Amino acid sequence: MIKEKNIKLIFISLSLILILLIFFLPFFWIITSSFKNPEEIIATSTTIIPRSFTLEHYYKILFYSDFFIYLKNSLIVSFFSMFISIILSVSAAYGLHKLKFYGNKFVEYSLLVTYAFPGVILLVPIYLLFAKLNLLNSYFSLIIVNVLFASPFAVWMLKAFFKLIPNEIEEAAYIDGASRYIVISRIIVPLASPGIASVAIFCFIISWTEYLFASILISGDDLKTLPVGLAGIVGQYQIDWGFLLSGAVLASLPVIILFVFIGKYFVSGLTEGAVK
Amino acid sequence: MKKNNIEGWLFVSPLVLWIFLIIIIPIYIAFELSLFNIKIIGTSGKFVGIDNYIKLFGKSKFLNASLNSLYWIIGNAVCQTFFAFIIALTINYKFPGKKIMANWIILAFIIPTVVVVVIWKLMLSSSSGIINSVLVDLGILNEATGFFSSPNKAFITLIFINSWRWSPFLALIILSGLNSINREMYDASRVDGANFIQQFIFITFPNLKNVLFVLGLVGTLLSFNIFDIIWLITKGGPSNATSTIPLLIYETAFTKFRISQAATLSIITSFMLLLFSIIFIKSMAPKEDD
Repeated sequence: MIKEKNIKLIFISLSLILILLIFFLPFFWIITSSFKNPEEIIATSTTIIPRSFTLEHYYKILFYSDFFIYLKNSLIVSFFSMFISIILSVSAAYGLHKLKFYGNKFVEYSLLVTYAFPGVILLVPIYLLFAKLNLLNSYFSLIIVNVLFASPFAVWMLKAFFKLIPNEIEEAAYIDGASRYIVISRIIVPLASPGIASVAIFCFIISWTEYLFASILISGDDLKTLPVGLAGIVGQYQIDWGFLLSGAVLASLPVIILFVFIGKYFVSGLTEGAVK
Repeated sequence: MKKNNIEGWLFVSPLVLWIFLIIIIPIYIAFELSLFNIKIIGTSGKFVGIDNYIKLFGKSKFLNASLNSLYWIIGNAVCQTFFAFIIALTINYKFPGKKIMANWIILAFIIPTVVVVVIWKLMLSSSSGIINSVLVDLGILNEATGFFSSPNKAFITLIFINSWRWSPFLALIILSGLNSINREMYDASRVDGANFIQQFIFITFPNLKNVLFVLGLVGTLLSFNIFDIIWLITKGGPSNATSTIPLLIYETAFTKFRISQAATLSIITSFMLLLFSIIFIKSMAPKEDD
């Protein structure tokens, strides 16, 4: 008994160290490096505890780059993608898990497959379709694609939350003469609000981080999103690391702030659907 | 609750239509294109029937990319499963700071892929990266190495980076699966003298079937689809060693502008993935209780 406990303790300690080193240290190093002066960043003798402190990289990116244009584009695209995804996925999840209809299992599995399916396979066809419809170079083209990527998994996430709402509450409301609209807006949505919050953050993240389609469907500089703007710096022959690092930190900040507030719903929402 | 056909479909239809229109119409366009020989968008090419398909299977680049995609899926599955189980089993254990770690482990998953690329490009840089510097200081390496310089090293490093991004997400899903296992089973097995490795094999693993089914299906398809991490770091090089099918499609369409060829590739790939999904669901889907 004692021996097994020790083995377990050693396993836990070792994996804790491994997790800290691999999954948390990089963030610490990148964030502190974004405040180092250029010489220290590219020095061959790498420093873990910074020796210098400067805000010049942030100054440069905030005042001498297109950062705010990209930020504005990313915010617009992500917000509208999130909004449309929530409406479509809440409606679909209600139909799938509260109404039960002929073919609902088929729809449920198809949604799961479509979540993983799109990506690069659809790149060429969608590009051609949007070219025909004159949608290239518009926010709308990215919103259409992001909703496609985010909604199927959002429905999957909502499943657990919808199943937790007892049918009796709904039935009681109907007996009292409530309409479908009242039931959804006064009962279902408030009770599923933690689920809807987690779906919202998921959809926002999917849209915020999307790179592939944003890099192909948008060619105008004034419409580019943050990931595409950042990738432009990565691709340069001579990388200005300080500039790039501060850009990376700033581009991650909005999702991190969002996560600080509703992150705990997100983590539970993300994982419930797979188990239930 | 009784079935409610018309209203049920009414609520599902906006999303189903949205997805249907944006997947089926483009796939139809691609199929049409794959039967022609079109090089520049907007021009009409010659009808060539299934010629594009026949030619494709003779191309060594296609064979190379298919094999790379296969290795990519297998490598990622192994590496991600390993990391994900370590994270999940560790967080499942009580220790100070557990809550914070469980919440923030997902950080690698919520930041843009481009940021992941920036982080690891600098971490692994041969001139100023911390990894090289530590490995040299510890005497593991004689001199700084280029992690993307040789075909094998580049491939393995990319698998690591991609797993770094995805494992925390998988870990959280496994973790909630772990939490749903009845604790009494562990107590009972302990009375029977099972150690914790036996518990893992005979209780933990079988009880995660439902979770592992979803991860197996979605994970394989998502791994296959990975594009940006590879493209932004190696562009498929050195000497096409990291060129998977998504990269081949992208290159064919947007750097070589061979639209018909790219469409053919997309159609074949969709077909293969659809086949995989059907076989996987038919053979592995857990029995429904409700």
